[in-house]
Amino acid sequence: MLRTKFVPVALDQWYQRRQKDAEGEFYRKIAGQGPRNDFKGTTQGLYAAAPDGTFLGYNNNRGPERVRKLLRKALDAFRPADAPPIEAGPADPQYAHVPPEGGLVVDVTAKVLGGYPEPKDWHERIFQVALQRDHLWVRKDEHEALARGKIPESLRVRIARFHLVDGTRGEPPMWKREEIRRLDLALAEGRLSGSVHLETESGDRGFEADLLGFVEAKDGRVTRLDLVAKGLFWGEGRYTKGAPPGKFPLAVRFALASGKDAADRIPPEGGRGWHADYIR
Amino acid sequence: MSHPFSGESHQYNAPVRWLAGLALFLVPEGLSVTEFERLHRDLAPPAVETWRTIPWKTSLLEAREVAAREKKPLFLWAMDGHPLACT
Repeated sequence: MLRTKFVPVALDQWYQRRQKDAEGEFYRKIAGQGPRNDFKGTTQGLYAAAPDGTFLGYNNNRGPERVRKLLRKALDAFRPADAPPIEAGPADPQYAHVPPEGGLVVDVTAKVLGGYPEPKDWHERIFQVALQRDHLWVRKDEHEALARGKIPESLRVRIARFHLVDGTRGEPPMWKREEIRRLDLALAEGRLSGSVHLETESGDRGFEADLLGFVEAKDGRVTRLDLVAKGLFWGEGRYTKGAPPGKFPLAVRFALASGKDAADRIPPEGGRGWHADYIR
Repeated sequence: MSHPFSGESHQYNAPVRWLAGLALFLVPEGLSVTEFERLHRDLAPPAVETWRTIPWKTSLLEAREVAAREKKPLFLWAMDGHPLACT
């Protein structure tokens, strides 16, 4: 039904509810007709709307039956009508981030490898086996350094602070610079190796991991950037409740994005609201 | 059979010290290449996932333009964190 009867769009509404541009205005027009219409807080959920912005339904329950009901109801209510074009205009520069020119986009996935108790229901099981997805952005100068066989400090720190996280159950807290207790990650003869110790001041959250990976380059371009971090993680964040008790095994995987997927241009989670800090 | 400790000082005798050193040498520190390869394979997103077969757009304005042209309603999956790439 979604493929044929609708035009589906996936968004991180954190951006759209803030954006001062045509995209943000159109999003707020739709979401403002739903129950979550205070744009100071989250408006997350599933919405159906006509191209002119007429509201056709909302639901924040992702159960298959509830979603089907929302879709059917929206189709019943939909009356095709002309929708005047919207002039896109310039995108709000505070929120419109694109992959760095001449840089790299790296797919990042993470998974908890064990330690969970038996799940109480199917919903909990989904979170326990979930694969976290994100992207690492590499600047042009960092890309060039990698192609020469060097890994810049800025990239090592970005990997540690923003990508060695447990976001398998929701949006994870990132690491502050001072929470990097140890970061040894060296590139020698195409081999990335090292270890990391990240821990909050109180010690309530941490990650101690070993890293191993491989970098290959041809004609000044990186053609392979594969990396794995594996170790013991402990603790959870405000939006990642339900972590396994105590220390549990977590692995994080990095691989160059193909560039063919629409998702490849989605900004890194760690840069949301802190893009300058993320990419510096 | 001789005890591995050499008398009152409780120092390891030479063969035990030699074996301990060999063990440290043989057990690689950190991730092995085999473990790296297994995890890199296991954590790759599945090649086929039903939810990824849906032609999601990532620009609301672009989706609106297509919807207006094709006379279809929009479906917005609007989350905290991008549904396709963050969590």
